[in-house]
Amino acid sequence: MPLLEVENLDVFYGDFQAVNGVSLSLDEGQTVAIIGANGAGKSTILNAISGINGQKKGSVRFAGEDITRLRADRIARAGMTMVPEGRRLFTSLSVEDNLRMGESAARKGPWTVQEVYALFPRLGELRRVAAGSLSGGQQQMVAIGRALMTNPRVLLCDELSLGLAPAIINDIYRCFDRIRDTGVSIVVIEQNVAQAVTAAGYAYCLLEGRVSLEGATSALAMKDITAAYFGTEKTA
Amino acid sequence: MTDLRPKLAGIAALISAAVLIAAPHVIGEGTLRYVVEIFCVFAFAQSWNFLAGYVGLMSFGQQLFIGLGSYFVFMLSNKLGLNPFWMVPLAFVFSGAFAAIISPLVFRLRDAYFAISIWVIAEIVRLFIAQRDFFGSVSGLPLIATRGMDRGTVSMWTFYCAAIFAFLAVFGLYYLARSRFGLALAAVRDNERTAASIGINVWWTRFAGFVIGCGFTGAAGAVYYMSVFQVQPGGAFDPNWMVIMLFIVIIGGVGTVEGPIIGTAIYFLLRAFFSGTGNLYLLLLGAAAIAVMMVSSKGIWGVLRDRTGIDLFGARRTSGLDTQKKG
Amino acid sequence: MIWVETVVNGMLLGGLYALVGLGLGYAFGIMKIVNVAQGDFIVAAAFLGVFLVPWTPVHPLLVVVPVAIISFIFGILLQRLMINRVLGQDQIPQILLTFGMAIVLRNGMVELYGANSQSINVGDLRFMGFDFLGLRLGVLPVVILGIAVALFAGLHLWMRHSRMGRIIRATADDYQVVQLSGVDYRRVYGIAMGIAMALSAVAGVLLAMRGSFTPYSGADRLLIAFEVVVIGGLGSFWGMFAGGMILGVTQLVALKLDPSSGLMWGHLMFLLILFLSPNGIAGLVRR
Repeated sequence: MPLLEVENLDVFYGDFQAVNGVSLSLDEGQTVAIIGANGAGKSTILNAISGINGQKKGSVRFAGEDITRLRADRIARAGMTMVPEGRRLFTSLSVEDNLRMGESAARKGPWTVQEVYALFPRLGELRRVAAGSLSGGQQQMVAIGRALMTNPRVLLCDELSLGLAPAIINDIYRCFDRIRDTGVSIVVIEQNVAQAVTAAGYAYCLLEGRVSLEGATSALAMKDITAAYFGTEKTA
Repeated sequence: MTDLRPKLAGIAALISAAVLIAAPHVIGEGTLRYVVEIFCVFAFAQSWNFLAGYVGLMSFGQQLFIGLGSYFVFMLSNKLGLNPFWMVPLAFVFSGAFAAIISPLVFRLRDAYFAISIWVIAEIVRLFIAQRDFFGSVSGLPLIATRGMDRGTVSMWTFYCAAIFAFLAVFGLYYLARSRFGLALAAVRDNERTAASIGINVWWTRFAGFVIGCGFTGAAGAVYYMSVFQVQPGGAFDPNWMVIMLFIVIIGGVGTVEGPIIGTAIYFLLRAFFSGTGNLYLLLLGAAAIAVMMVSSKGIWGVLRDRTGIDLFGARRTSGLDTQKKG
Repeated sequence: MIWVETVVNGMLLGGLYALVGLGLGYAFGIMKIVNVAQGDFIVAAAFLGVFLVPWTPVHPLLVVVPVAIISFIFGILLQRLMINRVLGQDQIPQILLTFGMAIVLRNGMVELYGANSQSINVGDLRFMGFDFLGLRLGVLPVVILGIAVALFAGLHLWMRHSRMGRIIRATADDYQVVQLSGVDYRRVYGIAMGIAMALSAVAGVLLAMRGSFTPYSGADRLLIAFEVVVIGGLGSFWGMFAGGMILGVTQLVALKLDPSSGLMWGHLMFLLILFLSPNGIAGLVRR
């Protein structure tokens, strides 16, 4: 049974339908990527799954439980959380205070403040600094750390590489192994296809709110991905 | 299919005007005064509706302009012996000018802070007037100028003044909302940055709306107190005016022309029903406002409109009260 | 010397004014809620104090404790049952809701207690004075200032160092994302409003001990709270304290010069500061 199972998801912003009939699944230990152009609906799906956006139809099941109507904080306490797009740290709190917010999920697990500092050594030096004054890469590390502190079973990552330099992006994705080792299954959203395909074992490509292509990343041809990403008609 | 509404509105305006002109010849003096009160209260509520729903400026201190307008007319007509009826348009100018002067200051504040700042200024003016014998101090001023005039004539002219304001509050607002200026107001209210980017001068548009709305309140205030022939600081600058205005607009719904008509009707019905209970009816007004806000921020008219699809004037502004709740 | 005494007394009063503003400012800072009924809640708390004083052991001053606790609980209920429901993109519904509450409270109190002047009897404490550096000061005003400073400092420290304080600050920063950490922001808002109510309640009771009040005093209290918050600079904690001081001194100096002016000069001072520095005192300091 998949750890996370999304079936026929429709998501709305007011009257506008951003996601149409999307189904995807995540098995325990897997890393899945959702790729697609800007506005394809990737973030919308994660917002809906995590409970932030409540305007949805369809079903979302987590560890067998139907969480479609569940509030975001309940979902976090059940073991699924998100690293939101644009980091969205608590700017008036220090780095360490941001991390410690994850404790509010009250979940047992290997991730502690010390473990996060071990994963991201730079943060240890910055622990008392106000989160608002960090660089983009540092903020991303804090955002990931904050999510890890909830000891999630599923980690949803929304556009981790947005606005970051390639070297820093690599640093961050290199930590994924360590994260996976602690039993966390991951969903990543990426506009950067190469990065997504390297990090994940299975990928879904989104186009205008619908799944245009899916498959194991080792089996997907770049040509097909490009077509599905941009929506160009496949030549016969 | 062309929208019939402007034509229907035009016809309605003509019919209303005819009825209003004929009224004093048909209705007795006592009832006429009651109608004057209804018209003035409606004008107050509609001007608040205009400011909050169309200009995007919510104020908790409109009693400032009611007081300014009425004291302006009383002082000038008493001290200079001028006909108060001719002073009413000047009360509009005076109140508008006062709004213009305070706007650079109060526009620095947003939302509730803007709203309360006007209340503060109302208190300053009230306290100032209440301490000075020149303005009649706490006991206020009587309207001297009309003493020599024929009662029937005074009653008729007062009615016509009030009727003009009620008329403008309905049809004036309707046409204003559909005008270029009205559209500019809507743009500024809905999205400042976008409005600016299409060439609308945000500050001036808002400023003009503020001046017009407050001027209107002031002039209507003058008529109200003229109809009772006396004014006191405690009454004219009473914060309870806000309770009445807010009740009417909350019940009726912000941002529509017809909402306050319904709200005013309900207010006067409730008041007649509960007369003699003193404070209790004010308490019920507050409770009703709470109840309506909890159920739907669109007011009774808004809910009716949604259910039935009726949109009488088609001049409504979606005021953002329709947006998704986070609670 | 009289002027120095007036200024010092103004500062003592100012500390209390700052406390009056703290409830309003706290609710606004955390939740962007402007509680228009704050002034009337302050008066209601004073009535509650009058009611509970006969049962208060040791000294009437201690009545602040049960009033604060009851107000805290009331604040939580108010937020969770009513205010949370009308929150959204627009501030208007919340403002109008609290306005309606103010009306109900005010007129309810008039119905229950009439329009007569009331105060909380603290016995001799009201008239006790002492000499300090050649000035004659009241014991009660000094004690009240002490309580105000203690509450300001206490709240500041608690927000900074406690777990709940951290959660409240995070919720204030981003109420949506805080849910991803497992925090129910609705619950947090309840607690924040409870704190705001408790602080306002203490201010109300202390005001009633220093002077008198009627059910109609709520409007003046709200305007003071509002002016303190704006003079201080929206969102500034200690700015509110400075704002309170300025208002308190202005008030007492003005009453000495123009005894029947009520709050007029305080209001004018507010306008002057608004004119000189739109972001209040905090705005000046931050430049």
